[in-house]
Amino acid sequence: MARGPEGPAALAGVRRAPYAPDVATPAASATREESIKAVGLEAGARVVGIATVEAFRERVPEGYRPDDILPGARSVVVAGGDGPTAGAWRCPDHRVMEITGYDLRENVAVHAMCDHIERAYRHHAIQAPSLPVHGHAPPMSMMLAAELAGLGTRSFAAHIILNPEYGLLYYAALITTLPLAPDPPLDRPACPHPGCVAMYKRIGTTPCLRVCPACLSGTVKDGAIATSTYDRERCHSRAQTYGIGSFQKALHEIVNEDDPARRRTMIYSDFFTKSLEALGFYRDSIAQCFECMRVCPVGRKHRKLR
Amino acid sequence: MSELPPGATAALKSAALKAGAAVCGIADARAFDEHAPPRHRPADLLPGARSVVVVGGAQPRAGDWAATSRAVLETMGTTERIQSVGRRLAQLIESELGYYALFVPPGTASGDTPFLSLMLAAELAGVGSRSLAGPVLNSEHGFLYWSAVITTAPLEVDGREVEAACPAPACREMWEREATTPCLEVCPASRGGCLDGRLESGRAVRTFYDAPRCHTRVHTHWIGGFQKVLEEALNEPDKDKRKMLLYGDFFTRTLWAVTYSSTNVAQCFECMRVCPAAHGKKELH
Repeated sequence: MARGPEGPAALAGVRRAPYAPDVATPAASATREESIKAVGLEAGARVVGIATVEAFRERVPEGYRPDDILPGARSVVVAGGDGPTAGAWRCPDHRVMEITGYDLRENVAVHAMCDHIERAYRHHAIQAPSLPVHGHAPPMSMMLAAELAGLGTRSFAAHIILNPEYGLLYYAALITTLPLAPDPPLDRPACPHPGCVAMYKRIGTTPCLRVCPACLSGTVKDGAIATSTYDRERCHSRAQTYGIGSFQKALHEIVNEDDPARRRTMIYSDFFTKSLEALGFYRDSIAQCFECMRVCPVGRKHRKLR
Repeated sequence: MSELPPGATAALKSAALKAGAAVCGIADARAFDEHAPPRHRPADLLPGARSVVVVGGAQPRAGDWAATSRAVLETMGTTERIQSVGRRLAQLIESELGYYALFVPPGTASGDTPFLSLMLAAELAGVGSRSLAGPVLNSEHGFLYWSAVITTAPLEVDGREVEAACPAPACREMWEREATTPCLEVCPASRGGCLDGRLESGRAVRTFYDAPRCHTRVHTHWIGGFQKVLEEALNEPDKDKRKMLLYGDFFTRTLWAVTYSSTNVAQCFECMRVCPAAHGKKELH
């Protein structure tokens, strides 16, 4: 095929991701880090990185560290998976992006790597829990894990972790008792992009700050983020218009409505129906606002196709 | 002259089959124009669309059809598997061929109208044809679940299926004898069912499918069921009865269906269960 690193045969299997340090090493001479990464990439991850458990200690409160979750943990392996395709970004019907389905292959990749670690190296390996357990707080931060594993850095745009090559990715991680050599954190942050720095110099803002001044604000100094504020609650109410929150809101209004006819209208309304669908098809309804990412230039080269 | 490297279409189809699809076909994006309403054509969703890749598979296995408990088919849905294949093909087209690809979301923008009709896509891509019972059937594999990817890549398109799976030879014979077919007999619209139709010279010349009625039977434990019980529970003044509604088997199963959406796709398969063409040509012991 035109752009694959391994020719037409690559389509028959799973191709090697271009941003995957050291995975081209032949299997026979691969280190265990290379071997684990190769398993993750073959299972569908776009990028894989490794962090040590020690790296979390100074950034994470007790109770939320990897070794609080898996006793004896030594390493965290992080997988990043693709979000919407470039074609989805181009769709003029905004409803497609609202419910465009995700593979969430990073989770599959994490499980494949867990299996590999337990079978090949006889060490414990578990998927790091990431769904919120109190409010918005997860038992372990996937954003921090991605940063510490050298896969990306926080951005102006809702503090989303941006990979310097691909931009927006979705992250999952595993925790293991296997000691692994970590990847270094990125030496240069992915945000702000040089184009955004130039824009800030000209007009005092960046594409994401300009498109969503309601949720985002920040300043650039010496080509780097100097201050950054993200109104999470406001963003949440816009980015997740269909989901658990909208279900709770609509249900609250429904049970408080005394008129049966009005109640019926609310129960069978498009909004409540879509909220229920979002609960059932959670993979398809992760977010309903992507505007800060739509205008972000990081990784855009992968969204410019024919 | 094609802008794609030689063998690209064949390699893409090979990747689809390796990823788990039973069939893969490609339709010309423009072919939808005369059949699909505005806003539901490929180019409405992806400007510059040239092809639509359709994959079918993840169908009930022969063992599922043979199972004696109807609960097996009710809770073995696997549509998620074929959707996963569609998503991966979209990523593959973009990363390997360098063309835009849009995975058609399996949900609806509003109501029951899909973004793009997957049934029409399967027909135009030559991997299926409509049946008297409603679903699009593949002539080799029978009843399949579908997923589609719209792309700007100028892939080699397939023609429509030459030999339709429906009506199967056995159904034609039954029609000659009894003026009905297995699917029409098991769910007749004239007796409270969903289907009606007529064959002439071995071909369907008239079909009728009561979609709203079918929907209430196929998705008994789905979002509609949730809404129905919720309304009843809120209208019920008696606290004990309300408790029974909320803890009842129907509502409990409905909650399971909503939570495990990919395994509770449908609760009625009778027209497909009796269809000789739906289970594919491969015979098992």
